[in-house]
Amino acid sequence: MTMLVYGLITGVLFGFLLQKGRVLRYDRQLGALRLLDMTIVKFMFSTVVVGMVGVYLLKDFGLAKLSVKPTLLGANILGGLIFGIGWGLLGYCPGTSAGALGEGRWDAVWGILGMLVGAALYAEAFPFMKKTVLTWGDLGKLTLPDALGVSPWVIIPVFAVAAVGLFTWFEKKGL
Amino acid sequence: MKVKSDDGWSPYVAGALSGVVLILSVWITGKFFGASTTFVRSAGMVERVFNAQRVAAMEYFVRELPQIDWQWMFVLGIFLGSLISAVTSGSFRVQAVPDTWERRFGPSRAKRAAVAFIGAVVAMFGARLADG
Repeated sequence: MTMLVYGLITGVLFGFLLQKGRVLRYDRQLGALRLLDMTIVKFMFSTVVVGMVGVYLLKDFGLAKLSVKPTLLGANILGGLIFGIGWGLLGYCPGTSAGALGEGRWDAVWGILGMLVGAALYAEAFPFMKKTVLTWGDLGKLTLPDALGVSPWVIIPVFAVAAVGLFTWFEKKGL
Repeated sequence: MKVKSDDGWSPYVAGALSGVVLILSVWITGKFFGASTTFVRSAGMVERVFNAQRVAAMEYFVRELPQIDWQWMFVLGIFLGSLISAVTSGSFRVQAVPDTWERRFGPSRAKRAAVAFIGAVVAMFGARLADG
């Protein structure tokens, strides 16, 4: 029960910030996919840079564990490509469809209904996927620091500097 | 004609604050952000109404039980948080066809609904294949 309350509070805060950042809209999502409007990329990378520092600090102090999903090359690449086609058509992703509906963009309802159907279809296809795609290129639970054999505290500053460089370039180009 | 300002906050500020919310979430509950599993659980909850036995026997619904959990409430929260922010800032707008869509594909609601629905089916299938 407590977890449900935490989930709701966390979602309200995140949804509030997503709306404030104006990243929930179809126009913004398609703008990012068409490389015309980088608002979403700015938002996302800002979250990632702040989040990665905090989460790795928590990990180093033994206050939290990472949640690393297995790298399955076949499923990640194929799934990513399929997701991208759908995202381009819909213009919302799973989380932002709920947020878009919250700010009145009710075409997100079609997105939510379609995503329920997509999830149901995947549940049907899962036994087949498990025997095929999900066995292709299984690298296990892998992180970038593991793969490169360096400390996360080497990757984090490099990523942060790269993000700031990218942000500077976006602002110069007016993206 | 004066257009009401709809600029919101800097995406850097809103994004960085979201990072802080993420850190607090990981610290307090150990939960990272995600949304697509919620659609699996919800699909299972809907299907269960029609054929509970079948859902109970399906491997994917055994892995992702059809029940309301932290993430389900998180996704509901995103809806509410966005609603609160939009209403209190005057940027709530009831809209069936997005602006840029209308400029390119016209004002048909049915067309937008059909493409959004099909896109959503495809997107969620891909998202679950890639595991979120």
